[in-house]
Amino acid sequence: MAKKKIQLTQLGRYKITGELGRGAMGVVYKGEDPALDRTVALKTVMLSDDAAGKTEYQKRFFLEAKAAGRLSHPQIITVYDFGQEGDVAYMAMEFLKGKELRTRMQEGSISVPEAVHIAQQVAEGLGYAHEHGVVHRDIKPSNIMLLPNEQVKIMDFGIARMRASDHKTSTGLVLGTPKYMSPEQVSGSPVDHRSDIFSVGVVLYEMLTQSKLFQGEDTPQIFHAVANFQPPMPSRLNSEVPPMLDFVVERALKKDPAVRYQDAFELASDLRSALSELVDREAAAAGEKQRDRDTTKTMKLDAEALKAVLPMPTAAAIGSDTRLPVSVRFDCSDAIERLTAPTRADRALLRRAPRPVGLLRRLIRHRMLVATMIAAALVGGAIALA
Amino acid sequence: MSTANAAANLASVVFLKIQEFGRRSAQEQARLRAQLEAVVAVTTADLEPAGWIALDAADGIAIAVLSDPAGALRLAQRALSAASAGLPLCAGVNHGAVQVTSGGRGPDGMTGDGISVAASVAEFAASTRVLISRSFRDALADASPALDVGLSPAGVFTDTGLRTHELFFPDKSAAGRRQRRLIAAGIAAVAVFVGGGITARALTGGHKPVLDATMAKAGMSAKQREAWLRGVREKIRF
Repeated sequence: MAKKKIQLTQLGRYKITGELGRGAMGVVYKGEDPALDRTVALKTVMLSDDAAGKTEYQKRFFLEAKAAGRLSHPQIITVYDFGQEGDVAYMAMEFLKGKELRTRMQEGSISVPEAVHIAQQVAEGLGYAHEHGVVHRDIKPSNIMLLPNEQVKIMDFGIARMRASDHKTSTGLVLGTPKYMSPEQVSGSPVDHRSDIFSVGVVLYEMLTQSKLFQGEDTPQIFHAVANFQPPMPSRLNSEVPPMLDFVVERALKKDPAVRYQDAFELASDLRSALSELVDREAAAAGEKQRDRDTTKTMKLDAEALKAVLPMPTAAAIGSDTRLPVSVRFDCSDAIERLTAPTRADRALLRRAPRPVGLLRRLIRHRMLVATMIAAALVGGAIALA
Repeated sequence: MSTANAAANLASVVFLKIQEFGRRSAQEQARLRAQLEAVVAVTTADLEPAGWIALDAADGIAIAVLSDPAGALRLAQRALSAASAGLPLCAGVNHGAVQVTSGGRGPDGMTGDGISVAASVAEFAASTRVLISRSFRDALADASPALDVGLSPAGVFTDTGLRTHELFFPDKSAAGRRQRRLIAAGIAAVAVFVGGGITARALTGGHKPVLDATMAKAGMSAKQREAWLRGVREKIRF
C-alpha cells in the first residue's frame, strides 16, 4: 500500500485537533465531534490505490469497524462511527486518557496482583468479544490501555475479523505481532478465539516475569520460538507468583489450542480466583507471620540464577524430552552433590548395574526351607544307610 | 545447559502423576499440586536425606531415589495410600540412568532414560495404581531378593515412541502364593528325601532285621515271611 502524507483537518463531521500516534496501518488522530461536543480518537487507514485491492481493503476495514462497533463492554474501547473521506477510511472511537500497558511495563515491574487484575479484565473483555463472534488477533501490551481508575480497555480491533467472514479476507497474509502470536497464527493454520487466549497468556507471562517470552533476532526466529519454546513456570522466575498462576499461564500458553483454555471467561474466572488468593495472602502477610501450612522445606529462589531454568513437561511429553527441573520446594542439594561430586563409595554404588539373582541367592533368603530340606535329606540318608 | 557430570548414574525413579491434570481448573490444579507436595514431603521422610531428589513435572513430581530400590517402592506405595483422600494419583517406577544438568549457576535439573521410562510407565497406570518396569524389578531383586516376589506381571505396553515396556505391579497375594508354593515344595522335598531313604533301604535289604522282628512278633513262620516279602518285592518292581 502506498503511503501518502496528507494533512487532514476534517474527517466526516469530525474536526481533527491533533495526532495521537502512527501505526503500520495508518494514523490515529484526536478529533472533536461538534454534534455531540465530545472528544474522539479517529483511527484512519489509507485505502489502496489499486482498484481491486482498494475494494477488498475497504470491505475489510468496514467489516472490522462493524465488528468492533457492535461490541459494548467496559473492557473494550467503544467505536462510535465509521466512514470514508476520499482515500481515507476512518473509525471514530472513544478517546481514552490513560497509559498503554507497554509503557507501564517499560516504566518498571508490575506487581503480581496488578498483573493478574489487568489480565483478568482483558480476558473478560475478550470473552465478551468472542461471544459476539469477534476475534481480536492482535492482543499485545500496546493494545491494552490502563485507565486511571484501574480499569483496562482493549483497543485496536484493527485486524479483528468476524469469524463468519474469515474466508472472505485475503489469504496468506499474516496478521498480528509476532511475539504475541499464537502457534496456529504463526503456522498459518485457521485461527479462532483461542488464539487471543494464547496472546493474553504471553502478556500475562511477561507482566509476571518482567521478561520477554518469545525472543529472536528476526521474525522467523520468533515464529520458531512461538511454535516450539516451552517456557519455564513464571514462579521460577518470580517467586512472588503463586502456584495457581503457574497453572493458569501454562494452560493459556498451550501450543495445541485443543488443550488450551477453550473460553476467555474460563481464563478470567481462574484469574479472579488467583487474584482473591493473592489478596488473601497479602492480608495474611500484613497480619502476623504466616504459619507454615505444610511440612515441606522451602528454598530461597535466586531469580537471576533461574533465568535459564527448565520448563516442566508433562509425563506424556517426557518420553521425548526427559529434562526435568529440580523442585525448589524440597532441599535436595545433598543428593545432587552425591551425583555431581560422588565419593568413591558412591561412585561404585550408583554406577553398578543390577546383577541377576541366582537360585543360590534366592535360597539363602529362605533359610527355613533350606534347613528343612537339609534335615529331610539327612533323615532320608540315615534311613537308607542305617 | 550442560550435564554436570559426564557419567550417568543409576537411580530408581518414582514418577507420581496426577491424573487428568490438564483438564482441571487452575484452582484445582494448584490445590492438587499442593497436596502432592505434602504427600511427597511425608513419604520421603523415611528416606535418607541425601538419597533422593524431587523433580518438577507439569502434571506430577518425579523422585529419583539413589541406591535404595526398596525405599523407592515403599515411597510409591505410601504416596498412593496417603493420596487416597481426594488426590487422583498414580505412579510409575523405573530404575535407570539419570544425569544432573546444569544451568547458569549450577545444577538445576536432571535428565535420563530412568526418568523418561518412569514417566512413560506412569502414563499406563490407572488411578491409585503403581506400575513397575522390568529394570526396576531386577534392581529390586538384586537389592532385596525377597521383595521382588511381591510383584506380578501387568503386561507388556507400548508407549507413544513405540518402545515396549514389560510392567509389573505390587501384588500382596503374589507373596502369599509364593509362600504357599515354597511350603508345598518343602513338604514335597521332605517326602522325597525321607521316602527315598526308606525305598533305598528296602531295596538294599537293610529292612530284614526290622521286618524279621516285626513278623516274628506277628507269629509268622520263616517260610511265610519269605513268601510275603517276595510278594512285596514283586509289587514294588512292577
